[in-house]
Amino acid sequence: MPGDRGKPEMSLAFPVRVPGRPAAARGWFGTGGVLRVGYVGVFAIVALLALIPVAALVLGSFRDSAPGMPDGSWTLSNWAGLASPGVIDTLTTTLIVAGLTTAFAMVFGTAMALVIHRTDFRWPGAMTGLLALSFYFPSFILAMAWIVIGSPGGLINNLLQDALGIEWFSVDIYSVSGIVFVMVLHQIPFVYLTMRGPIMGMDPSYEEASRSAGASPLAMLRRVTLPMLSYALASSALLCLVMALEQFGIPVLIGVPGRVTVLATQIYLLCRFPPTAYGLAAAVGLTLAFLTGLAIMLQRRLAKGGRSVVTTGKAGRITPIPLGAWRWPVNLLFGFYAIIALVLPSLILLYTSLIKFFTANPFDAAFTWRNYTYVWHSEDTQRAIVNTLIVSGGGALVGVLLGAACSYFTVRLKPTGWRVLDLMVMLPFGIPGIVLGLGLLWAYAYLPLPLYGTLTLIVLAYVTRFLPYATETAGARFVQLDRSLEEAAWTAGASKQMGVWRIVMPLSLPSLQSGYFLLFMAFFREISATILIFTAATSVLSVSIWSSFEQANWGLASALSILAMVMMVAVMSLLLWAMPGARTR
Amino acid sequence: MGISVRGLVKSYSAVNVIHSISFDVADGEFVTLLGPSGCGKTTTLRCIAGLDTPNAGTIAINGRVVSDPARKLFVAPHERDLGMVFQSYAIWPHLTVAQNVAFPLTVRGERDTRDAVAWALDVVGLTKLSDRRPSELSGGQQQRVALARAIAARPQLLLFDEPLSNLDARLRDRTRLEISRIQKELKVPALYVTHDQTEALSMSDRVIVMEAGHVVQEGTPEDLYHRPVNRFVADFIGSANFLDVRRGPSGWQLPDGTPILVDPASDTGDDSGSVALLRPEAIRLEPGVHGDLTAAGFNRLTGRVVGSMYLGPHAEYIVEVGGLQLRAFSRAALPRGSHATLVFTALDCRLVASGTPHSRSLAHAG
Ligand SMILES: Nc1ncnc2c1ncn2[C@@H]1O[C@H](COP(=O)(O)OP(=O)(O)OP(=O)(O)O)[C@@H](O)[C@H]1O
Ligand SMILES: [Mg+2]
Repeated sequence: MPGDRGKPEMSLAFPVRVPGRPAAARGWFGTGGVLRVGYVGVFAIVALLALIPVAALVLGSFRDSAPGMPDGSWTLSNWAGLASPGVIDTLTTTLIVAGLTTAFAMVFGTAMALVIHRTDFRWPGAMTGLLALSFYFPSFILAMAWIVIGSPGGLINNLLQDALGIEWFSVDIYSVSGIVFVMVLHQIPFVYLTMRGPIMGMDPSYEEASRSAGASPLAMLRRVTLPMLSYALASSALLCLVMALEQFGIPVLIGVPGRVTVLATQIYLLCRFPPTAYGLAAAVGLTLAFLTGLAIMLQRRLAKGGRSVVTTGKAGRITPIPLGAWRWPVNLLFGFYAIIALVLPSLILLYTSLIKFFTANPFDAAFTWRNYTYVWHSEDTQRAIVNTLIVSGGGALVGVLLGAACSYFTVRLKPTGWRVLDLMVMLPFGIPGIVLGLGLLWAYAYLPLPLYGTLTLIVLAYVTRFLPYATETAGARFVQLDRSLEEAAWTAGASKQMGVWRIVMPLSLPSLQSGYFLLFMAFFREISATILIFTAATSVLSVSIWSSFEQANWGLASALSILAMVMMVAVMSLLLWAMPGARTR
Repeated sequence: MGISVRGLVKSYSAVNVIHSISFDVADGEFVTLLGPSGCGKTTTLRCIAGLDTPNAGTIAINGRVVSDPARKLFVAPHERDLGMVFQSYAIWPHLTVAQNVAFPLTVRGERDTRDAVAWALDVVGLTKLSDRRPSELSGGQQQRVALARAIAARPQLLLFDEPLSNLDARLRDRTRLEISRIQKELKVPALYVTHDQTEALSMSDRVIVMEAGHVVQEGTPEDLYHRPVNRFVADFIGSANFLDVRRGPSGWQLPDGTPILVDPASDTGDDSGSVALLRPEAIRLEPGVHGDLTAAGFNRLTGRVVGSMYLGPHAEYIVEVGGLQLRAFSRAALPRGSHATLVFTALDCRLVASGTPHSRSLAHAG
């Protein structure tokens, strides 16, 4: 009742108190337990998301038929099948590929981070940008480009044989070393991005002390810098190992033609090519999930212990180490990386998308727009593009909201059972995408939910897989927000849910935007979780690209890849423009 | 009406931090919780605000019980109709000054908040800054925004948790007066938490002294200053000389046997563990020796000046008397080593319990 309020110039003369004014507004936010209901809801959703695929996998690994088949029975043969020479071979190959990839990616990624942030390298900004860009370069598209370049009928061999007449030397990307090579290119940006924080946050006084004690830059690197970074290095290496173990796009494109099988691709082969063995695939999937889960657990433990060791938070201005005579070799190396990881693959895809038949010599090529005009006419492709935008745009929103809700409960309110919620959110993080897809395949063949063949299922898969991205970004912000900001809202008359809506959410907006950006990008290029659960109606762009490539239609696959990357850059710029908060990432 | 707290107990895991305390704040009364750091002031205040849940005891605000664990009754903070000023101000950085102040009104569902916001900003003198962001304000201005926000919806109760501790001395003095004035105008009960005795004495109708989760004494500022129940309160409020006295054959005497007159009202007949409190400003300090007689309700002691500190209006001297060192003020210049006479009335020399206040109040509680 504004009339009771008096006039401002009356100042303190304020005689009338309004008695019995309602203490809090009713309405949608009400005074009731909206938040409690929300907690129960979030808990149930996360439990279903995380536990259903895992439970389905475990059950499936004891079945001897395909998911949903009525004539199956219980069996132990799938688990016995793990001991077969085929599976053991695959396991060995997987460990070799993942181990080599991790080793090389760690060396190059860390070296690049050290050069960029610790020396007088001339273009740190540009190089950081390039690395961030190649971080978002989808792995299966990179693999496709390198197949065009390095396969037996590809660019390099053509060049060697036709242009140079060299017969005694040829390259074959379809090999273990080919897979490792492309995977290293793909993982380097990840290593760089995880190492750059610890390197930049290192207390420079230790290094300065060793320099003033007479150590040469190299000796300092070996005896002070790297040992101080050991926790960060180990943690980054474990994550890198997990990504290499669960990598699907690269080994499926390069490995299958070359008969190099890793666990992730074996699961796919067991499910797609007759005689199918879904039960064995489930057992293999659980084995792979066990390996990655173990690595994740180790990494979390390390990250907890190591955080205090390196970052003291008083990162001062450090005198950069002069590169001296190394300047040009280093520049060349960086240039070379930019070319083979980003520039060359993009150009090759552009070239392949514009020619009628593949030839290594552009002067022989017959150029055409047909691959692009095909998109214009193909309803399937258009549907895939629309699906991708729906799944990434809408799915990322769902993911961010769910993740923020989870973090609000686990970081701020800590109601009964919050630890379980926290654990369940993290659980799928250790499960490779292909294994998750398989679990969902098993689950929704049995569950009476009409989810199979819907975009919702795809969104569920993606949200489950990438939920930790959202909980970590939102959680980091919630931890920083001073408690009294929220308490002030409560004492001012706002219910808890109103406090969330009017105080916590607006103050966390930048982090939520940054989480949305991360999820959008991850959803846009995801293929491993999709490949077993998509149908014609729910195909997404990544699947379209991949299947045209599998049908040896390199031209169309390249055109779609170019299209996908243009869309990604466009959306990325749009998001960064519309959501300034995402830029901090 | 007002606040009524009965047998409040609060523990964090196994550790009790509030040991069954009881007190009242009458309608329109300004009461301060005073005590050393960690004694449980903030915890008590937060229990009243509903930000912490007590383990036992009842809290009633204006006759309505808002917390009673025995009956599983707990009213959420937003339903207690209160205004609170936090030590950290807790001004929301994403809202302007006016939006911050309007918040308590809008969450109560009021459409037209302009008059009330203008009034609240006018009370704290921030009308000109209503469109600023909190990041563009000084500490004192932010503090006043917090105050305006707390009163904007004219709550039934005002709570303050050391609202002045982040301000400089001069600003603190001014804001102190302002808070008292505003509270008196609003005529609502106010509970104010501080560990600063000047704030407590100058603003309050009544002061509640706490130590280690217990209420040691409550009373008007004059009560606490002149009639502290024990050495802890006397020491915590104002500066104090404590004289070790014991009962001799012909009355109380100092350790060296010098007879001394004390306020008979403070003599409870219990001899064990008593000390006499003598405020420095109650002592008239004169140069030279003027006899050693105690007569007509006056104490007259001679001593020797052993230390001095010049303070401007007067000097503070440390005088050795009968084996004790006493602090006293004088405007005369007394060279170190010279003799001086201390004169004070018997009524200014009160016996107080020296036992640990903790055990005393435990006995109270039991
Ligand atoms: N969340 C908590 N968990 C455990 N112990 C707590 C918690 N909050 C406060 N305490 C303890 O309760 C006791 C009282 O704390 P409180 O904050 O009420 O003190 P205070 O009188 O306000 O002190 P100060 O003047 O320093 O603000 C302290 O010993 C403190 O360590
Ligand atoms: Mg406190």
